[in-house]
Amino acid sequence: MPLLELTDVRTGYGSLPVLHGISFAVEQGELAVMLGLNGAGKSTTMMAIAGLLKTWSGSISFEDASVGRLDTAKRVQRGIVLVPEGRRVFPALSVTVNLRLGAWVRRRDRKALKERMEKVFEYFPRLAERRNQLAGTMSGGEQQMLAVGRGLMADPKLLLIDEASLGLAPKTAQELFQTVKQISKTGVTVIMVEQNAGALDVADRAFIMEKGTLIFQGAGDEELKATDLRAAYLG
Amino acid sequence: MKQFLVLGVINGAVYGLLATGLVLVYKGARVFNFAQAEFGTVAAFFAYWLIEKQHLPYWAGDLLAILGIAIVGFLVERLIVRPLFTAPRVTLLVATAGVALVLIQLQFIIVGANAVQIGPALRGIGVNILDVVVSPQRLLIFGVLVILGLGMGYFFSRTDLGLAVLATSQEPVATELAGIGTRRMSSFIWTFAAVLGGIAGVLLAPTGALFPGFMTITDLLPAFTAAVVGGITSLPGAFLGGLLIGITQGLGEFYFGSSTIVRGAANLLVFAVLVLVLLVRPKGLIGREA
Ligand SMILES: Nc1ncnc2c1ncn2[C@@H]1O[C@H](COP(=O)(O)OP(=O)(O)OP(=O)(O)O)[C@@H](O)[C@H]1O
Ligand SMILES: [Mg+2]
Repeated sequence: MPLLELTDVRTGYGSLPVLHGISFAVEQGELAVMLGLNGAGKSTTMMAIAGLLKTWSGSISFEDASVGRLDTAKRVQRGIVLVPEGRRVFPALSVTVNLRLGAWVRRRDRKALKERMEKVFEYFPRLAERRNQLAGTMSGGEQQMLAVGRGLMADPKLLLIDEASLGLAPKTAQELFQTVKQISKTGVTVIMVEQNAGALDVADRAFIMEKGTLIFQGAGDEELKATDLRAAYLG
Repeated sequence: MKQFLVLGVINGAVYGLLATGLVLVYKGARVFNFAQAEFGTVAAFFAYWLIEKQHLPYWAGDLLAILGIAIVGFLVERLIVRPLFTAPRVTLLVATAGVALVLIQLQFIIVGANAVQIGPALRGIGVNILDVVVSPQRLLIFGVLVILGLGMGYFFSRTDLGLAVLATSQEPVATELAGIGTRRMSSFIWTFAAVLGGIAGVLLAPTGALFPGFMTITDLLPAFTAAVVGGITSLPGAFLGGLLIGITQGLGEFYFGSSTIVRGAANLLVFAVLVLVLLVRPKGLIGREA
């Protein structure tokens, strides 16, 4: 039974259709990578899963329950957490407060919250060094780490990360992918939207989107190696 | 002159309270709330009716009046702000002015054009501060405001709810994604702003005559100036801005003389401070979101 399953999802903005029937599934514990050119509809897919965008038709099921009609807050409660495109940290609040707010839906359990924050600081030592700095004054890469860390604070079962590597130096991007791999090894299922095909190195499953449809999906080392994904992705 | 200074500080604290409400709504909805001072006037009339007409004890009258205005604030958000959630901010701006006008008209219809008065919460002879006799009511105002100021400082820097309010104003999308419902936050912000206005109203009520729209006429402009001087998005800035404006007004009254209803010359000085701050520090005295 997959953790997340989309079936023929259609949606768009206003009356403009963007997703023309997307179907895919992700298994519990997998790290999936979604590639696609600009405007392919990757972010739109992520927003539909997170509930920022209503679906027009089709279904989204998570842990065997339909979540397509729930609002964002309820989905976060269930464990679906999106780290949005463009970082979107709270600029005038400190690193610690940004993280604390990420744990909003789990704020009652102070002890678990503290432990998760320590965990985030382990993944991203840079954040620990800067815990009292205002998020808006951090470098782009640091803000990206913070955005991922804030997502982790909600204790997600499914973490959606939209273009975390945007604007990162190639080496930093690789480090980030490795950290995400580590996170997924703790049992968190991850979907990473990427422009950087280097993310495929850590992927268990891959998707390629084009013009609002899924043109490729495959899983397992064998299949991902056998298909020349980079070529497919680059067209 | 000392007298004007001491009174200026106390008036300033009231402006600070209103300004804090203005900043809160501005942070939450990116709009200047023309109805902020009317939250105070309406609460003052609630208190008048409860205390003078229903003969409730003072504290009960004030508490119920504040509760009443909280409900008004909540309804304003539900009925007017929320339907305009995605509308251009100018539309919402005009809508808040509409709320103020409606509230003032209702006061004319219900209470009429005559001024009424509430006795002070605390009687007795005043206390001597810097050789100025300050009435117990004014001391009470000041005390409440200091406590509120500290309380809000704590609320907005330490509590989850307070921090979530700040987050909503900085990054609505990320706030939504953290599972903090931005619509519920909007309810909270408007209710809280109404309560701040209401507290200013019931504290101010016994110090002068109550007539429809009195706080909009005498306090909205100074409060707005205080908010801008403080940096429009800074809560502590608004509070400090309020004190600064109050003191400026006090000095203005000292040098130019005062009239109770229209503080013409003194307000000119307030305006001068506003222009000066905008010229020298356009981001306001505090100048950062907090
Ligand atoms: N708010 C919006 N209103 C109207 N159209 C939009 C909106 N957001 C996205 N679109 C359109 O939807 C399509 C898909 O956009 P989307 O952001 O999902 O692409 P993407 O695959 O994430 O691209 P990128 O790699 O550049 O982030 C694009 O054609 C875009 O112009
Ligand atoms: Mg995108």
